[in-house]
Amino acid sequence: MGKKDANVRMSLQTLKVLETFLENPTEQLAGAEVHQRCGIASGTLYPILLRLESAGWFVSQWESIDPSTAGRPRRRLYRLTSTGLRRASEVFASFNRGVLA
Amino acid sequence: MSQRNVTQWLIHHAAQHAPESLAARLEEEWLADLGARPSGFSRLCFAIGCCWATQVIAHEHQPSRVAVSSPALAGKAAIAYADQNFTFISLRSSTFFLVVSLHVVLIYGFMSALSHTRKSAIPDPLQNQDLPRSHPDALPPPLPTPDLKHVPIEVPNIETNLTYAPDPDGGVTTESAHEPSPPAPPMPSTPHAAKRIAGGPGAGFPDTADFYPSLSIHLGEQGISTVRVCVDAKGRLTADPTTLTSSGSARLDDGALKLARAGSGHYRAATEDGQPVSSCYPLGIRFQLKN
Repeated sequence: MGKKDANVRMSLQTLKVLETFLENPTEQLAGAEVHQRCGIASGTLYPILLRLESAGWFVSQWESIDPSTAGRPRRRLYRLTSTGLRRASEVFASFNRGVLA
Repeated sequence: MSQRNVTQWLIHHAAQHAPESLAARLEEEWLADLGARPSGFSRLCFAIGCCWATQVIAHEHQPSRVAVSSPALAGKAAIAYADQNFTFISLRSSTFFLVVSLHVVLIYGFMSALSHTRKSAIPDPLQNQDLPRSHPDALPPPLPTPDLKHVPIEVPNIETNLTYAPDPDGGVTTESAHEPSPPAPPMPSTPHAAKRIAGGPGAGFPDTADFYPSLSIHLGEQGISTVRVCVDAKGRLTADPTTLTSSGSARLDDGALKLARAGSGHYRAATEDGQPVSSCYPLGIRFQLKN
């Protein structure tokens, strides 16, 4: 586990978030969509997203819309990085072996 | 302030307490995600959650957590970390105690409300209470004397040429007696005198025993009550019977009136020249106990 990985705590909520992103690793999801899919409350969800982003597992970027045209604020979209994809896969693989990474 | 404004204010407030580098981003991100919430309640929960998220994010982005390259700064960073870590523990502890306190207050309030409801549901035991005596000797003020004026009423004399003949049957049953009409005075010779036969109880007339007041039976009251009945040609009452002479017992008189009323339709109408006519006559009802 690298330096950044040291900040990632594998809690049940973190695993749920990772599982949501692993369903379609190339998909970009906003926090609201992650909440809808895994049901984690905002007070827990956003610290996890920022934690995974700080660890390099996620990258985020603003939605490419014009808020005045769309009539709503732009969303922050998260996506798994290659490192995140690999590490998340390792974590779930270790679960399958019965050992937490 | 509407609920939407409250939630937006909460998010703005939460973002202001986030690290400066993340404040603007988090506020915009959370406001965008807030719009995806379907209901006002979920938006409120989302905003409150953002407040909590801010605390966690601020803790995780503390400067002490950044790798310290200079050994000289390591001590200060450690102290700062310890201090801020202590602050975080205090925050969590205070939050914990706040939640516990809220639960205690809620439970206490709930129990108090239940206790109040139970007290209200149980009535107070009955207690004797001495009421102040009114003045028993004080007599009520006398009623004002009505100003009555005697107005003479002139009753026109009605001359009739009817003759009354006693009913051969007498109109008397075994328990009821028909007051005999006074013998008609001898009428002067007229061209035609109507032959009148007085009415009385007919077939199906109720039994006197059925109207004998039970209390009178118990008290052994007996007597004859005479009521005035007005009967039409079909033997039905045309007016409510009235007591002419009392038996001496109000109960027996009342029973006689009830009997007279119940007999409507079973009276034998008076006849004039063989034709049934309406008439009023006294009806004696005897209440006599059978030994």
